[in-house]
Amino acid sequence: AFSAGSRLLRGCRGGHVVIRFALGGCTNRPFFRIVAANSKRARDGKYLEQLGCLDPLPNAHGEKVAGLNLERLRYWLGCGAQLSRPAEKLLGLAGFLPLHPMTVTGAERLRRRRQREQQPEAAPADGSAEPGTGT
Amino acid sequence: LPALAAALGPGPFPGLCPFPGLCPGWSPRAVPARGRKSRHDPPAKSKAGRVKLPPPVDPEELLVVLERYRQHRLVLSALRYRHGPGMGMGLAKSRGSGQPPALLGMDVSPHPSDFSFLSGREERLRKEEEEQKRRKLEIAEKRARKMEAFLEEKEKEVLQLQEEAKNFITPENLEARIEECLDNPRNYNFAIDKDGRIVKRTVLS
Repeated sequence: AFSAGSRLLRGCRGGHVVIRFALGGCTNRPFFRIVAANSKRARDGKYLEQLGCLDPLPNAHGEKVAGLNLERLRYWLGCGAQLSRPAEKLLGLAGFLPLHPMTVTGAERLRRRRQREQQPEAAPADGSAEPGTGT
Repeated sequence: LPALAAALGPGPFPGLCPFPGLCPGWSPRAVPARGRKSRHDPPAKSKAGRVKLPPPVDPEELLVVLERYRQHRLVLSALRYRHGPGMGMGLAKSRGSGQPPALLGMDVSPHPSDFSFLSGREERLRKEEEEQKRRKLEIAEKRARKMEAFLEEKEKEVLQLQEEAKNFITPENLEARIEECLDNPRNYNFAIDKDGRIVKRTVLS
């Protein structure tokens, strides 16, 4: 709806503006740049503007560091830029957007799996202890 | 994909060219090349009875997820409209600059607005900054102290020179000093043996 009428997206013919991750770095050392680009461009090709960066590998303190230019993100979202799924998830975790549904669903699934793993451990442990005390 | 095709070479066409002479581009490989099949390669015999099923779906979870997606898209479109071209400028100015951008201005729960897990990182960064400032201050103090000590030494030297300057020989007291030297002859002769003992009393004196 926005890309048709908005003057600001005049540079994108046939495609639409997308906020996504562009991969950089070296072998076994990825590094993502959060970038607003035309969707028809190559992943690492020419972009309109860089809006941040993400280091997927945890640092010495166990943190995954990302940098975001919130002002410009807000501008592009207002222009009508789409978001790729990992970009949505990252912004949801950052607090800029609401949490992505799959982040919540994934967390719930993990929690349920951990509970299921704990219960069989507790049940055999009780089962093995009871005959010992019973006899 | 073209790189893969070049690496694999033209795939073996069963029944078409059993002899390498007929198709010069193909030769039997001693070691099978590990690579992906192209769309013209037939599936393997071990996969003949394979039945591909879609992943299992929990219907309750699916309903919940669909509802969440619907609300998520609703919120996103509302945010886009709120910060659309022409609308975002005035809003940004009216909002206080000191406030953090809490979800672009909208209050949508459930979202952890207090990032307590980030406090560790911020504290660590603050501590590192303070450490750096302290180290810089220490270095500056050390440098200042060194400069002061240097200046003190130079001043002492200057004072010493001034003291010695009083004993210099000038054209005024030249004759007086010459007479003094002639009156008091000094004997600069001495002898030294291999053990380093100095003997001042010589035959001449």
